[in-house]
Formats: sequence, C-alpha cells, structure tokens
Amino acid sequence: MTDIEAETAPRGLNEDIIRLISAKKHEPEWLLELRLKAYRHWLTMAEPGWPNVKYPKIDFQNVIYYSAPKPKKLKSMDEVDPELLRTFEKLGVPMNERAALAGVAVDVIFDSVSVATTYKQKLAEVGVIFCSISEAVRDHPDLVRKYLGTVVPPGDNYYAALNSAVFTDGSFCFIPKGVKCPMELSTYFRINTQESGQFERTLIIAEEGASVSYLEGCTAPKFDSNQLHAAVVELVALDDADIKYSTVQNWYAGNEQGVGGIYNFVTKRGLCKGANSKISWTQVETGSAITWKYPSCVLLGDNSIGEFYSVALTNHHQQADTGTKMVHIGRNTRSRIISKGISAGQSNNSYRGLVKIGARAEGARNFSQCDSMLIGTKCGANTFPYIQVHNNSAKVEHEATTSKIGEDQLFYLAQRGIGAEEAVSMIINGFCRDVFQQLPMEFAVEATKLLGLKLEGSVG
Amino acid sequence: MTRADAKVLLEVKGLHANVAGVEILKGIDLVVRAGEVHAIMGPNGSGKSTFAKALAGHPAYEVTAGTATFEGRNIFDMAAEERARAGLFLGFQYPLEIPGVSNAAFLRLAYNTVQGARGKDELDPLEFDDYVREKMKLLEMDASFLDRSVNDGFSGGEKKRNEILQMALLEPRLAILDETDSGLDIDALRVVSGGVNRLLTRDNAVVLVTHYQRLLNYIVPDYVHVMEGGRIIKTGGRELAVELEARGYDWLKGKVAA
Amino acid sequence: MSTVVGATHPYIASLLNGCESGHDQLSWLGERRAAALERANALAVPTTRDEEWRFTDITPLTRVPFQPAVAVPHPGADDVAKFIIPEAGVRLTFVDGMFAPELSANAGLPYGVVVTSLAAGLATHGSVIERHLARHARFEQDVFAALNTARLRDGALVWVAKNQQCPTPVQLLFLSTQKAVAAYPRCLVVAEAGAELTLVEEYASLVDNAYFTDAVTEVAIGDGAQVRHVRLQREARDAFHIATCAVALAKDANYASHAITLGARISRHDLSVRQGGEGAEARLDGLTLIGGRQLADTHTLLDHGRPNGRSRQLHKCIVGGAAHAVFSGKIAVAPGAQLTDSAQESRNLLLSNKAHVDTKPQLEIFADDVKCAHGATVGQLEAEHLFYLQSRGLSEQRARNLLTYAFGAEVIDGIPVPSLVEQLEETVLAETQSAE
Repeated sequence: MTDIEAETAPRGLNEDIIRLISAKKHEPEWLLELRLKAYRHWLTMAEPGWPNVKYPKIDFQNVIYYSAPKPKKLKSMDEVDPELLRTFEKLGVPMNERAALAGVAVDVIFDSVSVATTYKQKLAEVGVIFCSISEAVRDHPDLVRKYLGTVVPPGDNYYAALNSAVFTDGSFCFIPKGVKCPMELSTYFRINTQESGQFERTLIIAEEGASVSYLEGCTAPKFDSNQLHAAVVELVALDDADIKYSTVQNWYAGNEQGVGGIYNFVTKRGLCKGANSKISWTQVETGSAITWKYPSCVLLGDNSIGEFYSVALTNHHQQADTGTKMVHIGRNTRSRIISKGISAGQSNNSYRGLVKIGARAEGARNFSQCDSMLIGTKCGANTFPYIQVHNNSAKVEHEATTSKIGEDQLFYLAQRGIGAEEAVSMIINGFCRDVFQQLPMEFAVEATKLLGLKLEGSVG
Repeated sequence: MTRADAKVLLEVKGLHANVAGVEILKGIDLVVRAGEVHAIMGPNGSGKSTFAKALAGHPAYEVTAGTATFEGRNIFDMAAEERARAGLFLGFQYPLEIPGVSNAAFLRLAYNTVQGARGKDELDPLEFDDYVREKMKLLEMDASFLDRSVNDGFSGGEKKRNEILQMALLEPRLAILDETDSGLDIDALRVVSGGVNRLLTRDNAVVLVTHYQRLLNYIVPDYVHVMEGGRIIKTGGRELAVELEARGYDWLKGKVAA
Repeated sequence: MSTVVGATHPYIASLLNGCESGHDQLSWLGERRAAALERANALAVPTTRDEEWRFTDITPLTRVPFQPAVAVPHPGADDVAKFIIPEAGVRLTFVDGMFAPELSANAGLPYGVVVTSLAAGLATHGSVIERHLARHARFEQDVFAALNTARLRDGALVWVAKNQQCPTPVQLLFLSTQKAVAAYPRCLVVAEAGAELTLVEEYASLVDNAYFTDAVTEVAIGDGAQVRHVRLQREARDAFHIATCAVALAKDANYASHAITLGARISRHDLSVRQGGEGAEARLDGLTLIGGRQLADTHTLLDHGRPNGRSRQLHKCIVGGAAHAVFSGKIAVAPGAQLTDSAQESRNLLLSNKAHVDTKPQLEIFADDVKCAHGATVGQLEAEHLFYLQSRGLSEQRARNLLTYAFGAEVIDGIPVPSLVEQLEETVLAETQSAE
C-alpha cells in the first residue's frame, strides 16, 4: 500500500498510484472510476507506431506520477539564468511575465495576486468559470462530470488513456449561455499559482451562443525536467457557440545535437455539438524534441465550422508529426485547414491530416492548404493528408506545395539593403502570414520574433 | 549631362566574371560620372545582365579578375546589401515575388535600412505611408499596391513600376536598370521612363541595360556601349543607338572597341 | 524437390498449394523463386490494419481458394477478335495465365525488338532476363508479388535493343476463362538505352466469373529511352485483380503510364516508378471508372532518387453506384535529388450518394531545392461549369453528361493508341450518361 501522506509517489504506475492521486485530490468516486477504467484500457493498448518520429522506448514505470506542488525556488530576478533573461529580452516578453516564467516567486516582484483577483472578479460578474480542473472538480462537479471525457473518451488513444488515468491538473473554463467572454483567457494567469505538470487536462465548454478566446502557452522557452508530456484538451461548443483556442508551444527542444528535450504527445479535440457552432485552433509549434498532436474538430451540429491554422517549425534534430482531423458529420459543415511547416537543420517535419465527410454530411465543404519550406539539405518535409468522402454533395479541396528560401529572393532583398537574417525573417513571416493573422495581436508579434530566434544561424 | 570634371561614381577595369565555371565577362572597362546616362546594348547572351548582377553582388557570379570601385570604394569587398546601402541600385529584369510579405512593409524596411546607413532618420509607418504615396503618384501607381504581397501576382508592367518606385524611395547614386523596358506596353514605358527622368540629377547617374533602342527615345543617353561576347566592343553617343536600330548588331561582330 | 506447405497464413497456404521449388534448370531463377516462396510463406494476407491496405478490405478474396488452371481451354479467334488492337503489329495472348501462341500474332518485328514468352526468351535472351526479372518488383514485403514470383512459370518478354524503335504498339493480352482459377501473369519489359516502345497491357475476361489475377509487370528503361505504357484493366465484375507494376528509370529516361481501371469486384494496382538516373521524366495518368459494388484501389509511388527529375501525375476517379475508389499516391524526393520538379493531382467525381472515395496524396521531401506540389479534390461537377453550359441552352442533364464525359476524356485522350481512345470514350459514355 502506498503511503498516502507522502509528498511524492514512488516511481511507476499501478492502480494504487491512481487511487493515491485521486485521494490526494479528494476526488469523487466517479472520477476515480474514470481513471481506473482508462488505466485498465491503457494496459491493453500499444504505443502508436505510425507517426513519422523516432525515439527510444519510454519506460512508463520509471515516471513519477504524483508529486505535491513545490514552492517557487528563486527569490529574485538576480538568481535567474542570464541566458534565459537574454532570450526574454529578444522576444520582448513583458517584465512581469519574465519573473513568472523564470520561476521567481512573483510576489517578490509585484503583486500578481491582485492582477489575478481583478481578473477573476470580472469573469465572475458575467458568470464565466475559469479555474484549475482540480478546483472545478471540487466546486462544479456536475459540470465536469457532464463533459469530461465526452470529446476524448478515456480509451481514445494510448496517450489520452494514460492522461485520463493520471492527470494531475489543468484548466477548466465554462462560458454560460449567451455570454461573450469579456477578455481573452490565458493560462498565464494560472501558472503563477500552480504548475500544471506533465499530464495536463483542459476542458472548455461554451454553452449556447457563448464565445471565448483561449490562449495557451507562451513564446518564452519553457524548461521542464519531465521528458514526457501527454496532455488532453477537450472543447465543447453548443448551438451558435464559438471557441477559439490559440497555442504557442516553445518547450525545451533538446540541444543542437538532439540530446534531451520534451516529448509532447497531445490529444486536442473540439466537438461542435450544436448547430452553427464554431471551433478554431491556431497553433505555433516551435519547441519540443518530438511533437505529436492533431488538434481536431468533430463537426456534429449542422452548419458548424472547424478551423485549423498551424505553423510548425523544426530545427536541429527536432521531429514534428502534427496536423488535424476534420470529421464532418452534420449537414453543411465547413472546415478550413492552413498548415505551414518549416524544416531546418536535420529536423523532420510532417503534416498529417484527415478530412472525413460522413454519409449524412450533405453539402459539407473543406479546403486545405499545406505548405512546406525547407532550409538546408539535411531536413525533411512530409505531407500526409487523408481524404475520405462518403457523400457526393460534399466538396473537398486539398493543396500542398514545397518551397525554399531562394538565393535569388535573398539577393533581391540584399539589393534593397536588407541583410540576410532580416530577409529570412521577412520571408518566413510572409510564408506564415495566413496563420499569424489568426493570433491575437501581441501573440503574433511575439511569434514572429520567436521564429526568427529559432532559425538564427540556419540560413546562409 | 556629361561634364568632364564631374565626380566619378563607378570605375570598372578589366572585369572578368564566371557563372557556374563558365567565363561570361571577358574584360570590361567602364567609367560612369555623376550626371551621366549610359546605355549598354547588345544581343542576347552578350553578358549585359551578367555585368549588372556582378556589379550588384549576386552570389552566383564569380569575379575572377579586374576591379570595380564605387565612389572610390572597392565594391568587391562589399556584400550585396552594403553595396545597396552605399547607393548602388539594380532594377531587376525579373523582380522576385515574395508571397505573404506586404509591399508596404518591404518598402519601409528597405527605405529605413538605407536611410539608417546614411545616418538619416527612419520613418514610422504613418510617416512612411505619406512619403511613399507621394512617390507612387509619380509612377501613376494605385495605393492598393501597398497592401499586396511583394510582386506576387503583379503583371510585368506592375513589377517594373514597383522597381522604379523602389529607386525613387532609395535615391541611389547609381541605378543600373536591367531590361526595365522589357514587357512594357507603350503607356507603361512612358510612365516608367518619365519616373526615371524625374529622378535624374547632376549628382546621380543611370546605366540602362537594354536590348532595344525604344527605351532610349524616352531616356536619352549620353553614351551608348555595345556589348558582345562579354566585352564592350563599341562606344558612341546616342546616334549609335539609332544606327543599331537600323542595322542590327551583326555589322559590329568581330570588332573590338578601339 | 518438395511441395511447400510452410505458409504461416492459411489462405496463403491454400494459394501456394502445389507450388514447388527447386527444379528450375537455371540456378538464378530457382534461387529467386525460392526466395519469393520463402517470403510468401512468411507473409500474411494484408488487412485494413496495414497502412497500405487501410481502405481496401480483401476478405471476399480470401473466401475462395483460387488454384492455377489445370486444363486450359482454347478460345476461338472470334472470341478474341474484339480485344485486338488494330494498330498493334505484335500481340501475345495468355489464357488463364498460360501462353496461347495460336492467339498471338507477330507481324514481322525489326531486328532488335523481341516480343516473346518468357520461357522462350530464356533461351535467347537469358542474360537480359537474369539482369531484370524480379529485380524491380520487390517481393520482400509484398505477399502478392511474392506469390506471383513463386508461381512464376511463364509470361511475356518485351525487349527493345539500344537505339531501336519498336514501330508499332505491342499488345500483351491476358484473358481469363474459368471460374475459381488463379492466374499469375508476369511481364518483363526492357528498353535499352535510346530505345522507344509503346506497350498495351490488357486484362480481360471471356466469362462473368469469380477468378483471381495476381499480376506483376517490371519495366526497365535505359538511358534516354522512352516507354509509353497503356494499362487496361477490364476484368469480369466478379473477379479479383491485384497487380504490381515496378518501373526503373535510368538517366534521362522517359516513362508515360496510362492506367485505366474499369473491371473487377476488388482491384488493386500498385505502380512504383523509381528514378535511378538524373534527369528522368515520368508522367502518370490514371482513370478509374467504377460502379455497382466495385472497389478499385490505386497506389502509386514516384521515387525521385536523383537530381533533375521531373514528374507529372493526374489520377481521376469517377465513382457511381455504391462503389468505392481509393487512391494513395506518394511523391518521394531523396536527399540530394535537387531540382526535382514534381506535381500530382487527384481528382474525384462521385456520381451517386452511396459512392465513396478515399484519397491520400503524400509528399516526402528530403531535398530543399525542389518544386513539389500536390492537390486533391472530391466533389460533384462544378456548379459554375454547369451554369455556363445551361446558359448556352443545354439542359441540366445534358450539361452534366457532357461534363462527366469530359472529366474522364481528359485522361483517355492522352492514350497514344487511337483505336483504344475511341473504344474507351464509348465506354465512358456508356457508363456515365443518364437519360436526357
């Protein structure tokens, strides 16, 4: 029997560990049951072999699945790694965020509690719930129970099953009927209070006519001693609801020789449950040693809309296999996919996407554009779209191109006085423009700088 | 206008250059002074465009012998962008397309970079917008050009106007215009050459690289050079262009400039 | 000498029933057959859990233990007449997998062009066959190519010597006549440097039975040589057809494929084109026209292994009834294959609301200075095109018929054999037109 008073669970995974996690978090019985069911299913599953990525076998019994939140270690900005501060400077991360991101106890620098409190009050006035999923389980158990695992079932895939069994925290967001969320919700306002851990779970619900824009991550490099990250994000949009989910992912990618770095195995899925609902994913993926994620939309409601806008950049030895699934079930459903892959160094970057038009999806439409750019001769760019059409009134269009940054393009810009680094940044941002346009303004500016930083020294 | 005492902008001596290991330029000499208009003519493959690109510093063109100075500086010691910042401008025969990059952002970046190199003030987006619109009027360009991606989907004429607009913004000391007339209809030719004429002062100079005499009816050269086989084989005044138009290039073949 | 019943998979074992190895007179041939038999024994029948077969369920095939023909009937010349292509001066006919010399024709080929059965070719052109046979169609991971190679007895050899042009198209006709019979047709086509050839490879039936064709074709094209390859699959509607075609291109070689798929209950065509020399060029045109409960699966691979390669692919499917069309096309560009220029289009037209299509165009690029693009569309006819024709006075149905016909004709019109173009245009008309 595991010691329930211990701050950290022993390595390894078994039903006792899951019971421990659930008990530590004072969870209701149904949630423990969900975890156990997911775990038992996980035991029967095999790690997926189809992604176009290579990594040594993960020893799941060598992972610590629960450890109590630790207090922040650093007392002032002077203790922060100067290299990290230099990066913040280059990215233009605001001073107050730098402290939080660097792991400095924020109240030493400024009063973040008051920022977060004001924020929460404003949301509470309109009835928006935005809290950690642990708090939600405690304070809004019925809502969580109604929706958790309905979009990504506990046995959906290997990593989702693992997450369902052992998730420790994440975000919960509920926008009641008819409410337009008055501000963009950002995980930044939560990371001060608690680390999300390696098995993050997010659930966002927009009721009838509600709308919300949610920002995940940040451009600052995020270090973490946990190599494996398996998050699950579920979105539910009811009639006429609208959810926009934006991610900038810049986890530690390993060094230039490909040693270290995060394995980012994420399941993100949105259910357009109601008629005329809309879910839009925007992602800028620049970090992690391995990225495996397919933010998807299940278009169940008639006239519902799914969108996926993605920039995935890989450099050095990074590997990315990312894309989306658009599953059209309802009538007149629409989807749009814009994917921009940039490969540099010895990296490998794959777009993998599914567009499925079901037999009932009269009048469904999809448009996909998947462009790749290669920088250097040692990287790879792949495009694997799957198109499955079971309805003859549907219309599906897919286009893909591969290009490079041409010597003549660089010369043209040089002839106008623009140096190589700036020219590359300009061309890359032009290449990604359709995606950056989808990001909130300040995010877009940071993302632009981030790509430039990530490609430093790759060209010429 | 040509004045013997005018400042020498460009001086090229015995220039040899290779492309992919093949020698294209086989000894070119040329002096361009402030206030002058030169035309370099010659049949296809004579090396005209190679000469222009080699001067501007295209990486595919390898200079194997000879010298070139621009306002006294050895340009072969300078990277392409340094030459541009020093005031050497190349109008491209085939301007490159850069999808997704707005023309306005590109023009402003180029302008501010060159201004900065000259120690002058940069313009913010609003100031620049006023400035560029003024210049665009010269070339009868619609304001919608600013929002479109650089040369992306532009017609041949639109691309050439965009080149001259860049020349107007960057105010080079020496502009080398490579086949700026190719692909232009008569109205566009009038507008483009009108733009170039208005930019000419006693302190700058233009080298026109062209296959046809047509452009020279609009921009009148002080000197006409004929290139053949990687050398300048004849130099004359504007009347030489007229003679070439009437007689073609064949009568000059085999001749070497005295 | 032994009868091998070593297959781990019971259905493979049934197909291999009676297959022997070890008695070939030529040691190299025996070794290749034995290696293939070993692989066939080791491999399983693919299922939809295999990525390469994910959309094509061949369970119906595995319900019948198809066996090679014991006795071969002799169809009359009249039965075969309708398959004869007048332009083709040379024709080899195979019945249920066996060479039928009496139904073949040879209108006097010039020196340097050989069209003969593989068995006869072994005596005269053994070194050519040894150099190429089972060297291009890889059977290590492909159970059907392994079965074909293990079962190899006879087939067609087409060889064009250096700098020779074959003056007329060569027709290879594979006819099926018996129920429950498995045939393992094999073609080896070799165009030496600078040679030119037009080839028509056709699979057809004299009866409406369930039979199984497992075909392998290898095409080797030398430096600067050119091969135009028409492939016409019009098997019986109850038949099963699984075929591999492997093409190897040398420097500056040129290959054009025109693959038309009309028949079979379940068919699969794997076409791989490997550019082993610089500057090679390939054009792959395909048309699948199916209805009823047919399933037609085309998998193609354009493997750009060397610099300066160029390829163009257009694959079209017209799917009616409750039929199911599958297209999976991969363009691969190897490291160092700079200046590759490749474009692929998958266009699909669904004629009924029960028809469906799975298409999967893929790019795998490992060189930076390349131009690669692919596109895929699935849908109905363009509303704007319909409107345009209607605005010119055509009835809606007429406009639909015209556009549907034109959709298929784009591929058919590229076929370099006029009589086939005419014949196939009629087929498209007959299959796609509704009463006006």
